[in-house]
Amino acid sequence: MIYKDFRDFLKKLEEEGQLLNIDQEVMPEPDIASAASAMSNLGDQTPALMFNNINGYEQAKVAMNVMGSWPNHAIMMGMPKNTPIKEQFFEFAKRYDQFPGAVERVDTAPFHEVELTEDINLFEILPLFRLNQGDGGFYLDKAAVISRDVEDPENFNKQNVGIYRMEVKGKDRLGIQPVPQHDIAIHLRQAEERGENLPVAIALGNEPAIVTAAATPLLYDQSEYEMAAALQGAPYKVVKAKDSNLDLPWGAEVILEGEINAGEREIEGPFGEFTGHYSGGRKMPIIKINRVYHRKNPIFEHLYIGMPWTETDYMIGITTSVPMYQQLKEAYPNEIVAVNAMYTHGLVAIISTKKRYGGFAKAVGMRALTTPHGLGYCKLIILVDEDVDPFNLPRVMWALSTKMHPQHDAIVIPDLSVMPLDPGSEPTGITSKMILDATTPVAPETRGHYTQPLDAPLAVEKWEKILTELMNKQK
Amino acid sequence: MHTCPRCESKEATVVATSPVEGKWEVYLCPVCIFTWRSSEPETITNPEKYKKAFKIDPADIANATNVPAIPERKR
Ligand SMILES: [Zn+2]
Repeated sequence: MIYKDFRDFLKKLEEEGQLLNIDQEVMPEPDIASAASAMSNLGDQTPALMFNNINGYEQAKVAMNVMGSWPNHAIMMGMPKNTPIKEQFFEFAKRYDQFPGAVERVDTAPFHEVELTEDINLFEILPLFRLNQGDGGFYLDKAAVISRDVEDPENFNKQNVGIYRMEVKGKDRLGIQPVPQHDIAIHLRQAEERGENLPVAIALGNEPAIVTAAATPLLYDQSEYEMAAALQGAPYKVVKAKDSNLDLPWGAEVILEGEINAGEREIEGPFGEFTGHYSGGRKMPIIKINRVYHRKNPIFEHLYIGMPWTETDYMIGITTSVPMYQQLKEAYPNEIVAVNAMYTHGLVAIISTKKRYGGFAKAVGMRALTTPHGLGYCKLIILVDEDVDPFNLPRVMWALSTKMHPQHDAIVIPDLSVMPLDPGSEPTGITSKMILDATTPVAPETRGHYTQPLDAPLAVEKWEKILTELMNKQK
Repeated sequence: MHTCPRCESKEATVVATSPVEGKWEVYLCPVCIFTWRSSEPETITNPEKYKKAFKIDPADIANATNVPAIPERKR
């Protein structure tokens, strides 16, 4: 699997029947966001959307929901589109273990086709539009933002590629939300301590490996480009920026080069977030854009974010689960089976684990709370046995129904940290957290009546295969 | 100059006009940075119909917190 650029990935989606062209005229608002939101309501197997005829524009094309379903996520991974989530999870974990992959440096890229350094007007270059009714403006929310460590600028590994929400605040101005926990906030603090602007580059319309790597919580000195290479199983191509030493993803549709103005903050938002609530009304840094390159007739990729599930949840579901899985395995390599931290970016996480002895599963839950991602998320951890697929929610509910005894298995830990976008946190950034142990008690915990678990009829697996084949023939 | 539906300043300016002539304009308010397109529904474009909970009083803007905080200059 390797998609050389955004268009290559779109082509593959189309071949697989996972891209729907909308050729009828649509209004920029409210049609495009409404359609993307509607698509999310129609299930977890939905196609990407390509809007080819937008009122008021001559050539504009807008792509939405590009990774907004499990088939599209599987195709991103180069797997058959009907691959079950759990298999996608284990394949992702395998490739994550191949980190770091190689980076290939080249001199030119398709986005060099058109270059602008004067009279930049983002409203003319991109068919921008509003997503949610309360949004304060038109946003970029699936763009990769690239920045370097100011104290150690030659260190490739400390270069960051991240996805941050950006409000278009003028013809050549963007607002950006660098949450203090994010790597770019470290770069910005370094620059501002020196009173210097921070050079940044913004890549829009990317092939999916860098988007996925940028959405994966990596350590500070782990390169997203090397992770993208590991994920795609081939060297990752980058090109130098012209106004800085930043590296740019070769396959992007549009690149914006600019800098975050040191010491400047300006009112931002609100913006409908992945929590299903708006956030905003705070003052945030400003990016001044100095240079733009793009392919001729660039495709503008955007992402509808709102009441879950939306594309965001498919995009970050597995990328959130796998690092937590690996970190838990470092502590308990023989016990941890799988982690599903896909709910609201891991505010709820389900862990499947073996038990060494009574009380063990609760300790796994507490370890999850102290992983890097757990510090800001994991408000609720559910633990299930090794034979319960944490991606199969009816089974998880079954485990909660039958294995959990509230007096023994429901634990609340008061006043822990959570990311400030959690609308329930009080004060902002502080919440109690809960562990629900839905594993079967083992000695020396002997409570309950669990000695006669139900076994399936003998030939179930064989019949699953037979029936699947018969059903496929009927189609 | 146009009236901002959100903060009702009268200072909003045109930042873009539709490439196909006469379809719409995009305005930007320099006070609260609200951005809107003339072709949007009235609940967005009309100051009287803009959702009350999302209105902004320009006087409050100065009190908004900085995210992230601006660090002290070290050199
Ligand atoms: Zn305003």
